[in-house]
Amino acid sequence: MSNLISAEHFQMVAQYADLFKQGMIITILLSALTVLFGFFLALLLAIMRLSNLRPFRFLAVDEEGHLREQGFLFALSRFNPVSFIATVYVEVFRATPMLVQLWLVYYLLFDKSVIDLPKVTVLGFIRLERFIPGVVALALNSGAYLSEIIRAGIQSIDGGQTEAARSLGLTQGQNMRYVVLPQAIKNTLPAIANEFVTIIKESAITYTIGVQDIMFAVNATKGALYIMAEPLIVATVMYFCLTFPTSKIIAYFERRMSRGDRR
Amino acid sequence: MATGGSLIRVTGLKKYYNKGAIKALDDVSVDINRDDVMVVIGPSGSGKSTFLRSLNLLEEPTEGSIFFDGVDITKPRVKTRDGKTVKLNIDQHRQKMGMVFQHFNLFPHKTILDNMTLAPIKVRHMDKAAAEEKALTLLDRVGLKDRAGAYPIQLSGGQKQRVAIVRALAMEPQVMLFDEPTSALDPEMVGEVLDVMKELAREGMTMVVVTHEMGFAREVGNRVLFMADGKLLEQGSPDDIFSHPENPRLQDFLSKVL
Repeated sequence: MSNLISAEHFQMVAQYADLFKQGMIITILLSALTVLFGFFLALLLAIMRLSNLRPFRFLAVDEEGHLREQGFLFALSRFNPVSFIATVYVEVFRATPMLVQLWLVYYLLFDKSVIDLPKVTVLGFIRLERFIPGVVALALNSGAYLSEIIRAGIQSIDGGQTEAARSLGLTQGQNMRYVVLPQAIKNTLPAIANEFVTIIKESAITYTIGVQDIMFAVNATKGALYIMAEPLIVATVMYFCLTFPTSKIIAYFERRMSRGDRR
Repeated sequence: MATGGSLIRVTGLKKYYNKGAIKALDDVSVDINRDDVMVVIGPSGSGKSTFLRSLNLLEEPTEGSIFFDGVDITKPRVKTRDGKTVKLNIDQHRQKMGMVFQHFNLFPHKTILDNMTLAPIKVRHMDKAAAEEKALTLLDRVGLKDRAGAYPIQLSGGQKQRVAIVRALAMEPQVMLFDEPTSALDPEMVGEVLDVMKELAREGMTMVVVTHEMGFAREVGNRVLFMADGKLLEQGSPDDIFSHPENPRLQDFLSKVL
């Protein structure tokens, strides 16, 4: 295997242009679907974590009608199971390697044992039984990260906004939807953009479960031609061409959404 | 001027923090009648804002009851007239109580017009055209019709507060709660906001106003409450309170602010 970078090698790699092209399309689709599902999962998780459901609230008052101030029943009365579940989810997914999560999802959930995906190929090169587990694993992971960003965004909105909305009779949900979330998402767009870019890059590990993305093309070329540097350089350029415009597009939306900030 | 009975009856209202170490409200009872312009005064930290914010449950009281139009809104379940027990829908009651805040709290991502039509459209299910027409009429009343398309950041403090007042009025509330509406304003803008409030009072709107504007309390209020340390220490007509104060705390307070 030669370490020298040569034009000749690039020409050899060019024979596999179709593989790289398909890999790029798969990477784009994978990232786009991950972003879509991850974002909605994140919204759900953020709202779960900030929810105020306390099913055991009735325990806050003791037999004599006084408010409890300490003890187990007091703690239980303040317990929010919905928020707890979301917190556990987020902490587990942020504290374990993406690769482990991917393999767990693929080998435990999809590899015939629980969900048996039909072997269908879309557009002639997207093998759904590999592609779908890839999207699921990436979305589960990025949802955890995005939810923390969105939660911070929601918490950054002045409490006066919610007070004003609720004083006008808006429900908690309407307040979220029309008042808090539009402002929260606007404020966190730079961080969300960062996460989107991260997803594009992280999607590279899905080649380990046989998703035929850009890295899969690198690997195939390497195996066939016994060269490493040139396919990697091609992949690097391709990833950059995906991530750079993504951050630019989001910066554009950020400017458009900040109309209320300008005099 | 007061014509029709009690609209809000507050009994034994308490709000404790830190397990009772801090008593923001300590056993406050008061009746607010229809057409009242009730002004709440007192030193800072006296609990007057907490009292006001309890009225529409932005603060959850630790103990006590608040009857709004005969319904105890502090209880999660209420009995209807035919004896059924139903879950209290606090949003329904909040619609009927307009609130104006010290820091305006306009929605910065929405235009003035959208600020005003959001609740009428989403909560009262008015159609957009009707809600906008009503909003423009209200904006015209406070001289801001031509700013309907602007964003809050483009308005001065006084203009923002005038918008906040008519935003609350767009829901046709039965009572308006004002939480130090002029405290965050530059001095030259206080007048324009007070003028709007005076006009509202003249039209017979029931109002509860927490303020440091003693001139307003004296001129527009028909009842004045004096609070200190979470307690309601004295109440009466403006003349009683300002000319014949009895409580030493009130005398001391007035000597500092007048």
